[in-house]
Amino acid sequence: MKTSKRWLPLTFKIALLTLLLLWTLIPITWMVLSSFKPNDIITAGTPRVFFTPTLEHYTSLFSSGNSLWPYLLNSLFIAGVSTLIAVVLGCMAGFGLSRIRIKGKQHLAFWIISTRMAPIAAVIVPLYLLFRYLYLLDTHAGLIVAYLSFNLPFAIWLMTAFFDDLPLDLEEAAMIDGATKLQAFRYVVLPLMTPGLVTTAILCFIFAWNDYAFAQTFSGPSTQTIPIAAAQLLTQTGIDWGKLLAIGTIVVCPMAIAGLLVKRWLVQGLTLGAVK
Amino acid sequence: MMSPALFLLALITLVPFFSIIWMSFNDVSLMGGLAFEFSGLDNWQRVFTDPDIRSSWLISLVYFLATVGLEMVIGTVMALLVYSLTRGSNIIISLLLIPMFIAPVIVGLLGRFMLDPSHGLYAWLLNETGLFDGNILGSVGSAMVAVILMDVWEWTPLVALIVLAGLASVPEDTLEAAEMDGAKYGQKLLYIILPSISNILLVALLIRAMDAIRFFAIIFITTNGGPADSTKIIPIRLYDIAFRFFDLGYAAAVGITMLVFSIMVATAFTKLLKRQETSS
Repeated sequence: MKTSKRWLPLTFKIALLTLLLLWTLIPITWMVLSSFKPNDIITAGTPRVFFTPTLEHYTSLFSSGNSLWPYLLNSLFIAGVSTLIAVVLGCMAGFGLSRIRIKGKQHLAFWIISTRMAPIAAVIVPLYLLFRYLYLLDTHAGLIVAYLSFNLPFAIWLMTAFFDDLPLDLEEAAMIDGATKLQAFRYVVLPLMTPGLVTTAILCFIFAWNDYAFAQTFSGPSTQTIPIAAAQLLTQTGIDWGKLLAIGTIVVCPMAIAGLLVKRWLVQGLTLGAVK
Repeated sequence: MMSPALFLLALITLVPFFSIIWMSFNDVSLMGGLAFEFSGLDNWQRVFTDPDIRSSWLISLVYFLATVGLEMVIGTVMALLVYSLTRGSNIIISLLLIPMFIAPVIVGLLGRFMLDPSHGLYAWLLNETGLFDGNILGSVGSAMVAVILMDVWEWTPLVALIVLAGLASVPEDTLEAAEMDGAKYGQKLLYIILPSISNILLVALLIRAMDAIRFFAIIFITTNGGPADSTKIIPIRLYDIAFRFFDLGYAAAVGITMLVFSIMVATAFTKLLKRQETSS
């Protein structure tokens, strides 16, 4: 046992940690739990922990007239395609950027990172006008382009950081053995990049899946994503909490699981490679 | 290999970039087809004289300082606690990380659910304990506190995760030596731990700073800037100007001022990265 790790009185430490865990977990747990409650228990004046669970909210989400299916499919399709494009192009560009030695490289890097950091509200205004002009409002392509505006620079930047970590010797050795640059990339470098690729893909997907502002502005009746479904229910008078909490659970759970799957590389991903 | 990506990126970022600059010098009308009418510096004059904009920047500043400040402090405490665990730290950090994967719109939904005056769990708790018995999201002051705490709830884990990564680099033997010499926890924290993670803390601060101005969905879905504009941070104000009043030229000018802020953050971030490269 490392003595230097015992810093604080144990009871104090446990109390503080418990408090932080409760603060973090109560809202999520309460949401998931309540999504299995009948509506009259959800809206009862006193909170109830024990009840007979019901799946009525989930079944009504997928069977009633205004089904969640189209929203779910839109979300999957739009987030999926924008992720695919971002990762493929980002991987190629990241490899190039990591290996190339050119003057002004830092300006290029700065341009990429600043497009990723651009405030969404500021990006929405010109994009709205351009989309209107190009008839891209209420299209899947429009939202895919909108998500690429932050996912593409993110993927390029992050893949560059991942490639930077990979020693040059490997591809050089392959090339000495007669492989072309492309073969070295395909058969030596790429297999080693699996964690980087998966992490980038999962994070891109989460960013697109979780977006609300772009979808709210650019989507229409045929392209609305799940966050929009939640927002629509939320702005109605007489909120159907059961349904909403079920949607919340559906939006949150897969992303939390996917995110935790790449926990090992999360720091690197979310700090854009600044922390290893 | 980089050309397809860079070409596409240029297309989807530079075209909007030049559009927003051009828009800011025009009166943009959407009624009866798109129409631009050159208006010189009118929009820009308004940006710097409009009291609503000034108050929104002020609210943004408060929101920014409160959220990022609390996230840094609580996140660091969280990381120190998890780091000091001898076992179970893996599962505990996983649990603590969950909020940051949640869509901001769902965080807002959760906030409204927990704070609902008639049946929200937190509203009920505050009421029972006599701490607060009004409509939390409907009153000036408490609404601001609530939206700040929702952001803190979602993003503190990110700070904790970053700081935790940094704590791995704290020199173990220095800590042990200090302990032998009878150093107290506070002394070790102040003189050994915090100095050796200062760079990491800066990374966390910059990452949060850039996202604090990027996202606005939580407020959008909970208070939409109300009550009485008390939570109307600058992105919400901009969205109102653009899509409620359809004053797109003016919105463009406001958007550019926000861009300037994010470019400053990006500059600091790349400088920091460079410093790390040269020091390692």
